[in-house]
Amino acid sequence: MSAEAGRGAHRLAARLAQSLLTIWVLVTLIWLMFRLLPGDPTTALLGTGQLPPDAIQRLRKAWALDDPWLVQYLRYLANLVVGDLGLSFVFREPVMKIIAPALVNTLLLMVPAVTISVMLGVVLGARLGWRRGALSEVAGNIIVLVLRSLPAFWIGIIVLVIFSYTLGWFPIGGIRTPAFFPETWIEEIPGYDVARHLVLPVLAAVLYFVADPLMIMRTAMLEARTEDFVAYAQARGLSDGDVMRIARANAMLPVVTYVGIMVSFAFGGQVLLEVVFSWPGMGRLMVNSVLQRDYPVAQAAFLLMAVLVVGVNLAVDLAYARLDPRIRDD
Amino acid sequence: MSYSRRSFLDAFAAASGTAVAVPGAVALFDAAMSRAIAQQAPTGPVPPLQFLSPNWPDYVEISRLLVASWSKLGITVEARQGTTQSVLGEVIGEHKMPHVVGVSWGGAPDRIDPDYFLTEFFHTRRATKGGLNYGHYRNAAFDEIADAQRREMDPEKRRALVWKAQEMLATDNPIIVFTYRNSTQAYNKARFAGVVPTLGSGIGMSYIPWTYYKMRPLTSRRIVRIANFTEIVTLNPFATPEIFNATLLRWMYPTFVTRGPNGEIEPWAAEKWNALDGQTVDMTLRAGMVFDDGRPVTVEDVKFTFDYMLQWKFPALARVNDVLDSVEILSPREVRFRLKQPSASFVPNVLGFCFVAPRHIWQNVPGSSGVASPADWPNENPVGYGGFRFREWRKGEFVRLETNKNFFLAPQIDGAIWLVVPNIENQLAMMESGAADILGWTIDGEQAKRLNRHPELEAVSVPSHGMHEARFNMELAPVSDPAFRLAIQHATDRKEIIDVVFSGLGIDALNSVITPANKFWANPNVPNVEFSIDKARKVLADAGYTWDGGGRLQYPRR
Repeated sequence: MSAEAGRGAHRLAARLAQSLLTIWVLVTLIWLMFRLLPGDPTTALLGTGQLPPDAIQRLRKAWALDDPWLVQYLRYLANLVVGDLGLSFVFREPVMKIIAPALVNTLLLMVPAVTISVMLGVVLGARLGWRRGALSEVAGNIIVLVLRSLPAFWIGIIVLVIFSYTLGWFPIGGIRTPAFFPETWIEEIPGYDVARHLVLPVLAAVLYFVADPLMIMRTAMLEARTEDFVAYAQARGLSDGDVMRIARANAMLPVVTYVGIMVSFAFGGQVLLEVVFSWPGMGRLMVNSVLQRDYPVAQAAFLLMAVLVVGVNLAVDLAYARLDPRIRDD
Repeated sequence: MSYSRRSFLDAFAAASGTAVAVPGAVALFDAAMSRAIAQQAPTGPVPPLQFLSPNWPDYVEISRLLVASWSKLGITVEARQGTTQSVLGEVIGEHKMPHVVGVSWGGAPDRIDPDYFLTEFFHTRRATKGGLNYGHYRNAAFDEIADAQRREMDPEKRRALVWKAQEMLATDNPIIVFTYRNSTQAYNKARFAGVVPTLGSGIGMSYIPWTYYKMRPLTSRRIVRIANFTEIVTLNPFATPEIFNATLLRWMYPTFVTRGPNGEIEPWAAEKWNALDGQTVDMTLRAGMVFDDGRPVTVEDVKFTFDYMLQWKFPALARVNDVLDSVEILSPREVRFRLKQPSASFVPNVLGFCFVAPRHIWQNVPGSSGVASPADWPNENPVGYGGFRFREWRKGEFVRLETNKNFFLAPQIDGAIWLVVPNIENQLAMMESGAADILGWTIDGEQAKRLNRHPELEAVSVPSHGMHEARFNMELAPVSDPAFRLAIQHATDRKEIIDVVFSGLGIDALNSVITPANKFWANPNVPNVEFSIDKARKVLADAGYTWDGGGRLQYPRR
């Protein structure tokens, strides 16, 4: 028993070391990528027409953009190790102060969106797979494929046109009403205003996200249907619903893998949804920081994504080992 | 350039993948340029003309029209677009120019003074990387006139020089001005009355906010909601050269002078000023101004602020260091500015851009805050003295201001909320649904028509001195040839561009960088170049160009 525990700890340490190495490689690539893009943080200021050339030179010097790349890179790594992500060139504030609120806003939108999508995907996907050939399956497939092929921003616009422009049930965008003064008891419930702003973007994100886990679940379910344990369960005389639940539990592994990928996409923010809903999240921040060559913010945002992807992959690997004991021995 | 909206458009382009094509486009230009430069003594067929612009929708449209029109001269025109940043970086940052580059410039207040466009676009001094004379127009006689108008303090004499400079440009044709595009916004007239159409700012932009000082609420909604593209990035008035951000901060930190609705210079935080000679300017501070924390605004604060700018050399305020030598206090309300050299644009562009920072706060900055320069200090709770006071900023969402009823021109509204709405469709829908009261950025003619269909909304279109233009690369054949440039001018249908691209909401340019709406400075004797393909072909023929059997334009034989 203790030998096995020791092997487990060793395996975990090896996986952690591998993850760290991956992150270092990613950090370096991300750093290099931004240096290879044409322009630098002063480029965005050129278009203001307000800075004479010598002022630009002064800024480049003050921001240490003239230092050799190797010096800049090593300085960045050294700061990173002690957790210093630097100052944003655009906001002139510590990067964490810029990213933290955007990340919170994105989580606020994406945690419910991903949770609902995965749950809906698993439940509906299992049903579709189980009812192969039924009219409901054919109709469901068509609906899901249509959703899958629509761009996120288009879904967002349609949702807005229906529920906001036309019906007027929800606000057109933003995350809260500026200077919001509650007038009725419902409005006095803490978070009411934000929740009202949250409904449509979550709905749009769910419609966009739900198709993938659903289709994966359906496919896995189709395979599970023909497995021996299903035939065995049926032979035992279990109800159709119980048999489906047994098959579903076994068909979930591919969805777990996919959730890892989905989470890292979702938490990087969905820039088009964020633009459509005026949502101040990570997606808009990342795109703006890349366009304005705000290296520190862009690097930190991508680093966050990288850590997330690596971390989620690690978690998925470990979860797999739990869900499927065969993997532990590989 | 007014690039805040552009960065939104870029965001869309980047997100939809179009940006990926850009490095390729730039590489193609490099190749085309090296081919063209290799032709030192050009002979044979005229090479394809390269036209580069940012991927802004208006420029995509303009490019299409130009390609169709210019091609009638027997040349191939290759129009390409890049993202804002790639065009800025290549063209302004590196001065890598194809034959022609088109961009637009917003109607910022300091561009009303003729010095801005004349010097920044055409002076040899600005023909260095990072400068705006990226077409490399080099004309010693022009430089002399541009410098002279800058020194001339007598307005009439200065105007004569400015007119002369416009004539020289009209002769040399280093630029095509397509139009001075109007600034067009809509507002909710059922809720607010008394908007003020203002040159360059329209009725709703932040540059010169007469509307927000004068508008009257008609309903219980007393706080105006402005739908805008621009993300505010700082509350520090020393930090930002971005004009929307800077001008919004001037609502809290008013400038000493401002521009009236027609562009005339008016007193603001200064009561009066007097240019004794070109190098000495006395200024009287307005009486009774109080900082938001209750302390009076004094000449000590004024002197402190300018000394602070001289000491720290803030890049965003480079114009101060370029011209100002020292400030002294003459009396409890008067200060004297001593300039390094005579400067006619000192009053409009330095006193019209600078502000007072409360000494009791900023003298301790950076202090022990750990930042390297006061420009890096967040100034989270701005203490100003303007008609608007800071209340709240949520990044990426909004800035909320309340009005200061003690200001000498107290606004009649109770406050303003600057909403960041990165999607034009949402801005329009917010106007239609009543979630927003006024637009802070310009819309196009079709959008104006759509909003005008609502009885409570009205779109107002106001002339601007901002412009859509294209610059020639003066060092690259064939556009290095004045005759060729004139032919291109003749082959450019400005009327069509204004009608098709801007639904008629623009002023047909005189062949000058100063709009006729800028009445005092525009030279009425510089007529536009007539649109006529025949005339264009005749100009080319007279200069020795010929056409081959296939109608392709050939360089003059030597």
